[in-house]
Amino acid sequence: MNDAKIFSVTELTRRIKSVIETSFTRVSVQGEISNFKRHSSGHLYFTLKDEITQIQAVMWRSRAASLFFTPQDGMNVIARGNVTVYEVRGQYQIDIVELSPRGIGELQLAFERLKQKLDGEGLFDPQHKKQLPKYPRRIGIVTSPTGAAIHDIINILTRRFPCLDVLLYPVKVQGEGAAEEIVRAINDFNTFGDIELMIVGRGGGSLEDLWAFNEEIVARAIYNSKIPVVSAVGHEIDYTIADFVADFRAPTPSAAAELIVPDRREVIEYIRNFCYNNERLVENLIKSQKQRISSLLVSYVFNRPKNMLQQHNQRLDDLQRSLQQIVSHTISIKQEQYSSLHHRIISLNPAAVLKRGYAMVYRNGVVVDRVKKLQPRDNVSLHFHDGDASAEIKKGGS
Amino acid sequence: MKKTKNAGWSLEASMQRLNDIVEKLESGEVSLDDAMNLYEEGMIISKQCMEKLSQAELKLKQIRKDMDGTLKLSDGIDEQ
Repeated sequence: MNDAKIFSVTELTRRIKSVIETSFTRVSVQGEISNFKRHSSGHLYFTLKDEITQIQAVMWRSRAASLFFTPQDGMNVIARGNVTVYEVRGQYQIDIVELSPRGIGELQLAFERLKQKLDGEGLFDPQHKKQLPKYPRRIGIVTSPTGAAIHDIINILTRRFPCLDVLLYPVKVQGEGAAEEIVRAINDFNTFGDIELMIVGRGGGSLEDLWAFNEEIVARAIYNSKIPVVSAVGHEIDYTIADFVADFRAPTPSAAAELIVPDRREVIEYIRNFCYNNERLVENLIKSQKQRISSLLVSYVFNRPKNMLQQHNQRLDDLQRSLQQIVSHTISIKQEQYSSLHHRIISLNPAAVLKRGYAMVYRNGVVVDRVKKLQPRDNVSLHFHDGDASAEIKKGGS
Repeated sequence: MKKTKNAGWSLEASMQRLNDIVEKLESGEVSLDDAMNLYEEGMIISKQCMEKLSQAELKLKQIRKDMDGTLKLSDGIDEQ
């Protein structure tokens, strides 16, 4: 042992490094993630452990970008990579090239853990759910431009309610970077596009395919959106974290399209009914007003003035009639009086008397109506009906 | 921000107004003059709604990002 070589720390570390790095290339190791950290540079640092031991792990940004899921503490994973030595600290670590959940069960566990965490924070509370507009004018869709979802949605909207502006925000919906693109799209729609609601989703796929919609950043972007979000991920049986946090969960993209707009035919039917009822209501109103007027016209109170008038007319007629009677009676009396006077006058006419053989005696132009007014030798004139004669009185009246 | 062509007119508001008119007319508490005005207004709104509903065609636009990151709208959907 005396002749043993004395290394410097660096020399020793380099020897170890070369031994380790040539012996443990392309190893696969299975373990549980703990102390997971995503550095601002994008590199991932964590520890892989089992019941007894642990090993440091690093995943560089370029490789981390290909992850379809965000690693979480407690997740059992299989890491493939090379063991390397970090000389500065004399520390060995696994430099991960590929990381995958140890099985579908791991993703399900991760799903449950995140669900519990966000639920605990109140992200799923009903009071945070926003109302969807009943008749949206302009909507946004966050999905893949090539997927089945966008075609299904557009088909249904075209058939059901084409009175819409639809803005597609094309994103990757699976694989590396999908969650980040979805988050950016949700955020952008909150400041751009003037939309009233957005559908965020994709068609069916495996749990791994749908995983972006189980990412915490997507859940938080949906939660923070000021614009209502309808989640539409996969098939009816697929539940994602996005579904729990969205304002409304549609079981499929097609269902989302059905849900966000009314059926145009139903709206048209409603308006037709409205027009019909509107006319009916106003017609009835006019009819009932007319009835009111005519019932007023025949009412006792309204007709009292008319009755009074009729009575006055009748009275007037009566008065006129009696007046006429009185007048005509008076006239006939006067006529009778006149004719009797007339007869009397006619009978009193001296000429008529003279005709019967009488003569009138005048003296000096004055009628002598008493014999005693005459003296002997008075010259008188005798007036007959047809002329006068002169005479002398022989013997006066006594 | 680009304004929608429909700005100023909304089916939502129109449908709400139609509902209000029906309720008012059905209540029977409006004068004949008011009823005639409501009737006329309702018929005008109905006509507008019918026109919009029957003429409408789905308008599709896609959001694009410029090199500098500004967002733009382009017609139709590019599936490339």
